[in-house]
Amino acid sequence: MTTIRLENLVKRFGDFTALKTMDLEIRDGEFMALLGPSGCGKSTTMNMIAGMEDPSGGRILFDGRDMNGVPMGKRGVGFVFQNYAIFTHMTVRQNLAYGPKMRGMSRSEIDRRVKNIADFLQLTPLLDQKSAKLSVNILQRLAIGRSAIVEPAIFLLDEPLSNVDAAFRAVMRTELKHLQKQFKQTMVYVTHDQLEAMTMADRIAVMDHGVLQQVGTPLEVYNNPANIFVAKFIGAPGMNLIAGELAETDRGLAVDLGSWGVSPPLSDDLAAAARAAGSRAVQYGFRPEEATLGSERKGLRARVTFVERIGARTIVHAESGQAVKVVTENDVGFSIGDVVSIVPTPAAVRLFDAASTAAIRGG
Amino acid sequence: MSATETLPGAAAAAPRTIPPVDRESRRLGFRLTLPTQLLVLFIAGFPLLMQLYISLTDWSPLDGVGWWKAWESWNSFANYTDLLEDRRWWGALWRTFIIMLVCVPAEFLLALGLATLFMDDFPGKRIFYSILLMPMMVVPAVAGYMFFMLFQSGGPFNGILSALTGMDIRIAWLSDPTLALVAVMIADIWQWTPLMFLILLAGLVGVPEDQLKAATLLGANWRQRFFTIMLPRIKTIMVIALAIRVIEIFKIFDTLYIMTGGGPGVATETISVYIYKVTTQDLIWGYVAAIALVILIALSVLAVFAMKRMEAAKNGGRA
Amino acid sequence: MRRSPAFEIFRYAAIALALALTLLPILWMVSMAFKPIPEWSATGADLTWIPRAPTLDNFRFVFGESTSDLIVALERTAWRPILASLLSAVFGTIIAMVCGTAAAYGLSRFGSGKNLPLALIQLRLFPPMAVMIPVMIMWAFLGLIDTWWGLALIYGIVTLPFAFWLMKTFFDEMPREIEEAALVEGCSRFRVFMKITLPVMRAPLASSALLVFILNWSDYLIALLLTTKNWVTIPVYMASLSSSMTGQLYGAKAALGLLAAIPPVILGIAIQKHLVRGLTFGALKQ
Repeated sequence: MTTIRLENLVKRFGDFTALKTMDLEIRDGEFMALLGPSGCGKSTTMNMIAGMEDPSGGRILFDGRDMNGVPMGKRGVGFVFQNYAIFTHMTVRQNLAYGPKMRGMSRSEIDRRVKNIADFLQLTPLLDQKSAKLSVNILQRLAIGRSAIVEPAIFLLDEPLSNVDAAFRAVMRTELKHLQKQFKQTMVYVTHDQLEAMTMADRIAVMDHGVLQQVGTPLEVYNNPANIFVAKFIGAPGMNLIAGELAETDRGLAVDLGSWGVSPPLSDDLAAAARAAGSRAVQYGFRPEEATLGSERKGLRARVTFVERIGARTIVHAESGQAVKVVTENDVGFSIGDVVSIVPTPAAVRLFDAASTAAIRGG
Repeated sequence: MSATETLPGAAAAAPRTIPPVDRESRRLGFRLTLPTQLLVLFIAGFPLLMQLYISLTDWSPLDGVGWWKAWESWNSFANYTDLLEDRRWWGALWRTFIIMLVCVPAEFLLALGLATLFMDDFPGKRIFYSILLMPMMVVPAVAGYMFFMLFQSGGPFNGILSALTGMDIRIAWLSDPTLALVAVMIADIWQWTPLMFLILLAGLVGVPEDQLKAATLLGANWRQRFFTIMLPRIKTIMVIALAIRVIEIFKIFDTLYIMTGGGPGVATETISVYIYKVTTQDLIWGYVAAIALVILIALSVLAVFAMKRMEAAKNGGRA
Repeated sequence: MRRSPAFEIFRYAAIALALALTLLPILWMVSMAFKPIPEWSATGADLTWIPRAPTLDNFRFVFGESTSDLIVALERTAWRPILASLLSAVFGTIIAMVCGTAAAYGLSRFGSGKNLPLALIQLRLFPPMAVMIPVMIMWAFLGLIDTWWGLALIYGIVTLPFAFWLMKTFFDEMPREIEEAALVEGCSRFRVFMKITLPVMRAPLASSALLVFILNWSDYLIALLLTTKNWVTIPVYMASLSSSMTGQLYGAKAALGLLAAIPPVILGIAIQKHLVRGLTFGALKQ
């Protein structure tokens, strides 16, 4: 039960800066996902929280206590490794008892804790099995149990699902989320898979190139991406972005998208914000799910280049200089080469400053 | 050779073949293995029978008759019963064991200590590693001569002792029965600790780093990690390393023979040196054959054991 | 993992000590090899660590050139033993590698000779001293005593287990897709072995051959028993130098020892990464 604060955290490896001045607060009991492509600094951040690496600058605070110089064994951090790092030469029981034993707890206390945690995680029937041949979801539970038994202040999980079959991931995600709710533990979960972050996390911290891009709930991050990177990274497929220039029309402020035509007028809030921002060159963004397709001449005009049918949904790829995707519920019968008209839902349109890549937000 | 058919290791040692094993490949497989089979038969089959035959006689090359006529000096099992009462033999065996009991643990502990220092990267690691491996590549006979020079009474070993103590030390290492044995052991430790180091380090770097980190995060200190994670994980590797060295100690000859010739007296006479002397000086080959057979049988038992452990290590290593 | 400065100091100190102990005997021999006679047996306070008047006389001497200090004449020079060592070790290596590689392939691919792994391990375990009586009798019968080819034959047999086991682990690891593709093309299996497998396995073959060569080159006991005069190898020759002379020819023997020690040390470093595999019979792969 701990609040974690990262203050001006920096990590350099020689000339390479893995993490640039990061500030982040992870709240008590929160499930926080650190999300980003590989090399974005998320693992470095977590390793520093765990104490496996020393920060080059800044502070890490657990409940206000500076962790600098506190060795990794003394931080009260539970760590679930990518491969779970189960001690395969030991039984399940020995794995669970490892932490308490190393901390010199009494035999009776160790037994009590092992019993409790094994009951809780439904590992009791497996206690005396060798851990080498357990299935992967048992390994995940064991890894969590082995850390949980010493009652860590915080749990760090390093992409634990990346080695799991795609089919099994959904099961593991559900189980993990369920466990977190029961433990009510602060958890930091590192992943490059935005789906994992979206489905499990209370809040997501999106990172790229060692810079924290945005922190927010999954819906905030999805609906109001702070910049172009987040807009593209979150969502499958990511947000459509078309370069254009602000243009006054008789129906209000809109965006001239060149060969696509002129966008429908912006909502009042967005128009006000765009006027206030002052820059004319923008990226016009909308979610593939937040647009309708038609053949009338009233939306953005583009040629269909590919139709991807994935069961209940169909993704239509269209192009006019730049490519966009539109997700439709059912196949509307377009085929490659057809000219379509794309109408983004007005409230779902987002604008980004072309120069700074930051979002232009209303209200 | 029928024993190998029932050995579980032998089946695992022959991995899956390209299916189907047609006649062409079976014939080719037979032809490819034939030269080796013949060599094994040539060196193991016929000579063993010869050795068994001679071991039941008093035959010596000085008899002036061919070995096949050795039955003329048939003595039943006298050689084997003599062996039981041969004090020089028991002395040589005992000395071999002493050397083993001192050198193998010393080499093991030194190598394990060194290997733990080499587990992570540090500046100079590669070059230090190469240098530390050098002794095992030095021709053993040459190593013997190196130590012969080092342990001369006016040699550098005493020179260093003198420098350290400030006295003029002139210990005649190789002519004192006890010190000669010590010198021989030092040479063995010098030459073979690197082998142990090489094997143990290979084992230690194979211990997954995540497991060590996990143990650290669970509160294990360095010592606890060493004993609860590292050592159990390299258990089979340690057994292999120890087995190899134990077996090699039984062969110890070159270094020792050049350093001391088994002397002074019989002070450093090991079983190989003893057999060599009986072979070349006493020339009672019937007796030598008997000793050799006893050793061969004892080591064959060890061989099966070592083989099983190695298969176990390989299968375990993949998990 | 992070290490404290105290640990680093300890580590370097321990390694420095180990390096010193490792190098002392080697460097002493190197030093001896370059010392002139008067320094050979300088003792006590006069002990010379580094030759005061370094000279190549010791090397000249063992190769039969007359030198200023050493006026004793050698019965034979080092040329012949070097030739003996080279011929026996090289041909022994060829025998071991040809037979071992073929057998390893036969077992690895076609499952032939399932008795060989254990049989060869046993062969490797036996002290040579314990099988030498029949070998000496057989070699005498075949006229192989004191010949380099007789020595090469026994070397080939003694190191066969190493060649076989090393190549077996390499063949077991080799992906078979390449061979299978060639088989589909209609190549015979033997052609595939000769034209596809062996060229692909060049590097492992070279490492194995070098290890086997080192082992053959390092022998002393077998050559001591099976050669008498014409084809003694370097170690036997080195050891015999003193007995035929008055007193120890320290410098000359050190020079010979150095010559004998250099090839395996260099080759050993070259094949470092395969050493573990080679010496543990594939139980460990580094």
